[in-house]
Amino acid sequence: MKNPTVNLRDLVILVADPNAYARRITNGMLRGFGANKVLEVEQTLSLFQVLTSQKIDILLCDTRLPPHGGLMLTRTIRRNTNNENRTIPILLMSSDTGETTIKNARDAGANMVVAKPMSPSSLYDRLSWIAFNPRPFIDTATYFGPDRRFKIEGYPGGVGRRKGDKLVEVAEEVGPGLAQNDIDNLFSAARKGQPDV
Amino acid sequence: MSDDAKHEANIFYADNRFERMARRPGAVAREQALEHAQSKIEELKSDFIDWLDREMQELSTALAQLESQSTDMSSIERAYTSCAHLRDVGATMGFELVTFIANNLCEILDAMKAGAVYDKEAIDCHMDALLLAKTEPYRHLSPAQVPEMTSGLRRVGEIVSIVPADDNK
Repeated sequence: MKNPTVNLRDLVILVADPNAYARRITNGMLRGFGANKVLEVEQTLSLFQVLTSQKIDILLCDTRLPPHGGLMLTRTIRRNTNNENRTIPILLMSSDTGETTIKNARDAGANMVVAKPMSPSSLYDRLSWIAFNPRPFIDTATYFGPDRRFKIEGYPGGVGRRKGDKLVEVAEEVGPGLAQNDIDNLFSAARKGQPDV
Repeated sequence: MSDDAKHEANIFYADNRFERMARRPGAVAREQALEHAQSKIEELKSDFIDWLDREMQELSTALAQLESQSTDMSSIERAYTSCAHLRDVGATMGFELVTFIANNLCEILDAMKAGAVYDKEAIDCHMDALLLAKTEPYRHLSPAQVPEMTSGLRRVGEIVSIVPADDNK
């Protein structure tokens, strides 16, 4: 997929961040992308007041949101069966993007994590990824949230790839290496537990 | 409920207005959207220095309080929050060095939460570095452009972040 565009017009976006200046920046970026309905809250209580009074289309939440943090908040939103916003996309914003934090965010039910300080491209590409890569919801006794089994091969805009990454050159395709019959035989043998045909 | 039923996963696609609406045609191209967002950030830059001054003052006050209550968790948390504010927006506003120094100081404060000993010189040295990073000649430099400063601060951070072993364990 090449640079899909994200249309944020008329979507209700809730930005939850204890840092007032960071909220202004995020709000500014979103409006720059074309959003016209951006709400802001600075702590969990106000966030729940908004969530219970209106439908939100996406939540952008800082992991340090007082009093208990964005991870706990995400878990609470996902586990509350009476909450109509239970399945909204949740994008966590965190300055700590270590493996543990990412894993915890995933297990809490967040759709994605974006590293702070954010750049317009990092935010845009994550919004784009959420919009264009829908994941099913998984409801089990121990987890409710987007399917955790996914892999990002690179964001649509190219952000996320390392600077030093090089294109892999492969030879031009000259035709199938194996005839379809051979392929079918291989699969059939593998299914029967006879890999060496 | 049987064990099987308990462990069975219900898999479904939720109707997601964000996905539906965000894919509508008519959005501006990505590059244009990024340009617009960047110009919104530029607009905010006019009062960023004022905000930075206020936030550094707040951090300085919190760190001064920490000097007399170095093991008090709420004092550490107050200093950490203030420092995290600087870290989280610095680079977005073009002040990469501010983000680097604030991040280093956050790590020191994190270590203090875990039991590392308060070190006034290390804290003062980071505060001085932040004040320097705010000045005109330094504000647009990246950490890589001042390697002596960044490697020195990193080293200071590593030394003072050592958490003493708990003898009771």
